[in-house]
Amino acid sequence: MNDRAENLLLALPGLGLLVLAYFLPIGQMLSLSLSGREGPSLEHYTRFLSDPFYLGVLWRTVRLSLVITLICALLGFPFAYIMARVGPRLRMWLVVAVILPLMTSVVVRTFGWMVLLSRNGLVSQFVRDLGWAERNFQLMHTESAIVIGMVQVLLPFMTLSILGVITRIDPRLEEAARTMGGSFLSTLRSVVLPLSLPGIVAGSLLVFTLSASSFVTPSLMGGARIQVLAGSVYKSVTQTLEWPFAAAQAVILFVGVLLVLVPYVKMNTPKHG
Amino acid sequence: MKIRFDLTALAATTLSLLAGTALAQDKTLTINSFGGAYETAHRKCVITPFEKETGATTRVVTAYSADAFAQVRAQKAAPQFDVIHFSGGQEIVAASEGLLAAIDAAKVPNLADLYPVAKAGLAKGEGPVYSIAAIGLVYNSQSLPKAPTSWKDLLDPKVSNKLVLTDISNGYGMLGFLMINRVAGGDLKNIQPGLDAVKKLLTGGAIVVTTSPEIQREFAQNGATIAPYASDYAYTLTKANLPVKFAQGVEGTPASFITANLVANRPNQALALKFIDMSLSESAQACFANELRYSPTNAKAKLAPDVAATVAYGAASMQNLFRFDAPTIEANRASWVERWSKTIAR
Amino acid sequence: MVKAIPTPVRILATVLVVLTVLVLLAPLAVVVGVSFSHSEFIAFPPQGWSLRWYQEVLGSGTYLASAVTSLKIAVLVTLAATLAGGAAAVALHRGKLPFSGLMATFFLSPLVLPTIIFAIGMLMFWSKVFGQISVLTLWLSHTVVAMPYVIRTTLAVLAESDPFLEEAAGTMGAGRLQRLWFVVLPQCIPGLGAGAFFAFNISFDEAVLSLFLRKPDMTTLPVQIYGQLEFSPDPSVAAVSAIMIAFTVLMILVIDKILGLQRFARS
Repeated sequence: MNDRAENLLLALPGLGLLVLAYFLPIGQMLSLSLSGREGPSLEHYTRFLSDPFYLGVLWRTVRLSLVITLICALLGFPFAYIMARVGPRLRMWLVVAVILPLMTSVVVRTFGWMVLLSRNGLVSQFVRDLGWAERNFQLMHTESAIVIGMVQVLLPFMTLSILGVITRIDPRLEEAARTMGGSFLSTLRSVVLPLSLPGIVAGSLLVFTLSASSFVTPSLMGGARIQVLAGSVYKSVTQTLEWPFAAAQAVILFVGVLLVLVPYVKMNTPKHG
Repeated sequence: MKIRFDLTALAATTLSLLAGTALAQDKTLTINSFGGAYETAHRKCVITPFEKETGATTRVVTAYSADAFAQVRAQKAAPQFDVIHFSGGQEIVAASEGLLAAIDAAKVPNLADLYPVAKAGLAKGEGPVYSIAAIGLVYNSQSLPKAPTSWKDLLDPKVSNKLVLTDISNGYGMLGFLMINRVAGGDLKNIQPGLDAVKKLLTGGAIVVTTSPEIQREFAQNGATIAPYASDYAYTLTKANLPVKFAQGVEGTPASFITANLVANRPNQALALKFIDMSLSESAQACFANELRYSPTNAKAKLAPDVAATVAYGAASMQNLFRFDAPTIEANRASWVERWSKTIAR
Repeated sequence: MVKAIPTPVRILATVLVVLTVLVLLAPLAVVVGVSFSHSEFIAFPPQGWSLRWYQEVLGSGTYLASAVTSLKIAVLVTLAATLAGGAAAVALHRGKLPFSGLMATFFLSPLVLPTIIFAIGMLMFWSKVFGQISVLTLWLSHTVVAMPYVIRTTLAVLAESDPFLEEAAGTMGAGRLQRLWFVVLPQCIPGLGAGAFFAFNISFDEAVLSLFLRKPDMTTLPVQIYGQLEFSPDPSVAAVSAIMIAFTVLMILVIDKILGLQRFARS
């Protein structure tokens, strides 16, 4: 057996699974998205791309995903660094804190937020008491609510991605920089940050794609009046029963995110001689 | 759910494991129900008596009409449901797509006792109606001591910021909206007046929810005082100790029909028909009314006076109920949902 | 450390940690709080204290049955995703596959697709080709969704690993299988571990696929909770979730005792 064959054999189970249980069903969906009223057509795509409402939904999805990704990166990096540098006991508890939200059902997490963010919820009251909003204000069913809910869900992904990379950074590198006179913060900026970049990028891509394709949390937190793309797909499947249109929307979402993913994967797959 | 140490079921299951599912299907019925309190009542009123009488096992899938419909549609080649229940008129499209089997009235004796309106769709292959939900004004009797009487009361700007509207993805929400549309001057061919009215309400502070528990939350915690919704849900709220009452609007009371339908291409249709028949029986009908305050469709069902007062009961009441033309709703649903989404979008 | 970390930075760091942990855990705390509420409403702080919802949940066979179903499927999925995904990651890492870049994209693409579309596509496809859906359908679907996580985490770990270790082993006479088992596998373990952890969670928590690819005796816990919330929202849902949270904490502590969570947090 040569190298190539061994690699192929390793990849085979995964590949087989994907072909059978993923590509074939997707292929069916793809052909569905191109099935117009009289034979194959692009009418569903045209309908989406020429309607300002749907373009607005697409834009909102992208915009919110970017905001969520940014916040996760800003919070996740320092948090991961702190986790990496504290003692093992504290680190374990921080890991637990990071992982627990992941392991709770999304409906449950959301209803916890619903209680906090609704009109009589603690958070909304707090905001009102501070004078930042009027009497009837509630954070629920706003874009902010979506961002808060999604950050809670996705922060663990970002943090764990970065953590994995930071723990590989030789602490002596930092020590060396400090010995040479660098302050703590400048060491962070010039040594740790560049070395953590792969983790930050990997985490960001994961968070972005998950944000863009999720519908449960945005639907529950945003309410009926704020639509994201995946929510619109769900609507088309279950309510309006426009499956071809739903398929077209899904393809648009899929393609959009793939465009972001491909350069990264190409960057990251090392080509050994 | 009690674990059944029933030898018949045990033997059937074992055999089915060995020989495929064919053998087990003779004595197993697969249906959908709507979860929570509904499903509990469903078990009490129909499922358990059915199992006792026929010795069959029922498998209940919790799936709301939209989901269940999506499933049977996708499974056309190999459906898994025997009886499927719809509350949003999906049976019309399902029948036209050949997903349902026509019901032979001779095999369902209780059909004879149904009000005509409840069996009107049988000729087209749809199943009979076994429960009716009346849509009207659900209101907080403490905040609104003078009971609302008209659908136009919903449009009063004074209550807008305490008004709860339901998204038309929900069957009751759709009917409530169509009624608002009607009093705003529109009809099924023109929903723009309704959309304009809703837009005005939203600017005035009304909110839109998508599920019934959210309505409860709004009434319980967020000071809501009025909502266009169903009488059965008003009853649920009173059971939760909320001072909520239900009033019918003078302009009319739209109704939601809950149907029990026979799925096509399934082997044990005799058993399924028996189930449907039992759903229509006097006792089952009275049970649903007592448990959940749905209106019975069997003319012979007997209700206690206090229960009868809160549901549509008797032939005269049946006359007051009306149903928005379901085929029109189905045909327009997609475009209406899109226009609604655009109207309520922020 | 050469110089101590300046105090303002320390304070900032503590504030950040506290705030972040608050954001991460506040809703969960609320859920636990609501589960002890006496009243039938979901409100926080809870009105009255009682254990009635726990009694109701633990006495209800339905919740327990769906929890067992979720667990069974999650275990199956974790095994399959870790094995297939880990192997695929090794192959991808080596970069000697045909269409290497494209392959990598394919393997990671399930991360991107809205599950709802996959669910409907799977339902239609399976019904047409294989007939009745079964545990197998759900298992395969969950695995498809979970596998990219394993691949990603394993790739990340492999990217930092020393490629020459394997070569060295080869020069010393180790066969292909030996190289895989004694060199590559240990290199992968942190990635596999993290991936397996994600896979388990993805499957256990998964609601959309399970909603559509369901059979009457095959309801998973998230789907059960959905149904409950839809029609009778009372704190029993909070009680189930509180139990799940407690179970999770327990599991994490156990894993720590056995494997040492350090494993996931450093090389």
